[in-house]
Amino acid sequence: MQPTSSMKEEFLKKWQMGLQIYRPLIDNTSVSERRKAIKLSADVAMASLRKGTTCWSRALIQKTATEDNFLVRQMLSGIKAETLINKKLPKVMCHRKIVRRSKMILRRRQSRSAIEEVAAKARKLIKKKTQGLRNVVPGGEFMSNDVLLIQETLDYIVSLQTQVNVMRSIVDAAEAGSER
Amino acid sequence: MMMMNGEATEAELFLNCADMSVLERQRAQLNYHHLPGFFSNSSTINGGEIDDGFLASAGLDLPEIYGEVHGDARISVSPGNITNESGNSKKRKFGCVDTETKVFNEKKKMMMMDREVEVEEEEEKSKITEQSTKSIMKMKNKAKKEQNSCSNDSSKVTKDSQRTDYIHVRARRGQATDSHSIAERARREKISERMKFLQDLVPGCEKITGKAGMLDEIINYVQSLQRQVEFLSMKLATVSPRLDFNIDDIFAKEVVSAPMMNLPNSVMPPHMMVNSGYPHDMVNSGYVHFNPMQQVVTSSDPLACFNNGQSATMWDSDVQNLYSSLGV
Repeated sequence: MQPTSSMKEEFLKKWQMGLQIYRPLIDNTSVSERRKAIKLSADVAMASLRKGTTCWSRALIQKTATEDNFLVRQMLSGIKAETLINKKLPKVMCHRKIVRRSKMILRRRQSRSAIEEVAAKARKLIKKKTQGLRNVVPGGEFMSNDVLLIQETLDYIVSLQTQVNVMRSIVDAAEAGSER
Repeated sequence: MMMMNGEATEAELFLNCADMSVLERQRAQLNYHHLPGFFSNSSTINGGEIDDGFLASAGLDLPEIYGEVHGDARISVSPGNITNESGNSKKRKFGCVDTETKVFNEKKKMMMMDREVEVEEEEEKSKITEQSTKSIMKMKNKAKKEQNSCSNDSSKVTKDSQRTDYIHVRARRGQATDSHSIAERARREKISERMKFLQDLVPGCEKITGKAGMLDEIINYVQSLQRQVEFLSMKLATVSPRLDFNIDDIFAKEVVSAPMMNLPNSVMPPHMMVNSGYPHDMVNSGYVHFNPMQQVVTSSDPLACFNNGQSATMWDSDVQNLYSSLGV
């Protein structure tokens, strides 16, 4: 599934709405502040397209809320903002070191054949990779199973593509405009 | 009944994760209704009917699991279970259509799955003869037991069973039949199915077959997209000091409609391109269709991620052409 033009429209509208909030404050700001404003409003716009149905969107909104609570509240319609911001993220991360150590101890007691060792290594590798993916996708640590993780990744990728496409076209147009 | 409860929770676990994969039973050896695994609740619909409708003609055949389901069953189930936004449901529908055509390639698909599964399958193949007979015996015994205990439950998952709470599973020949491994297999199949979608989405992954490699590519792609966002927002911040992109101006610009092929070295004039593949839903007359393939050339930023971005968009256009031809 590729980003559709309706998704892009919606994203653009929401993003513009977010930027409007910054406009009155904009006069003496530095480039980095502006960049931050742009990025944050773009992120919230992207996440709000999903209207709270996906885990990554909620996590992203909460992340940006820590940076700019006001923006998030303004951009999302009232009630939703409250619930999304105050909602606790579902699962607490387990203490991985403790879990790992206990697993190692258990493992030492097992005896393994050659085939099993290969399989175990492959499984380990895959686990590492999925952990890497969890680190990249917002809210990944809170996705309890792999199926959910991959599904969220799918959705997140599509949304990211939308965001990138829209931003890129705006940049091009703005550049072209400034050239003339 | 105890058995039912234990399996019920497992089944519910499945339902709570996204899709259900309803299993097609090719056919059975004998008249069993019940198999180890899950029971379907569609019993009321089918009563105690023997599932002959689904059985091919007699004979010992390899019972096969995990055929994909009917599109309707899946579509009807998923909205019930999960409230989807358009994005998600689109994804699922796409998945349904896709998987329906894979019904008879199930085995091949299983064979092409990740290394992990291959290794396990090899292990199991090496014990095939004993296990197959064992599993058949197990199934027969269980079938008899279950026949006695739950005569009202039908094991059939049919087109009519729109509201099944349990997934009925039949184990493959030569493989373990306990519910845990079956559950694991179902879960693994779901994962591989979703990885296939990801493979379509992430550019340049057609040749990568293993889970680990795919995950690598996915991680890299997501990171590159995130970096692009950062870069673009920085650029936008420098370009427009007052954050006022005049949207109407942008829309009013001239639009060139050209089919966007892969033109890595050509320098495109920096205005919007229209790709004819996009559906034409115009908001206002000046609305421009955004195109993933933007040739940004006049900028002088030599950032590495920019190059990544450009190549990514080229792949994007390929994939996008593919999708537009599919009418997505």
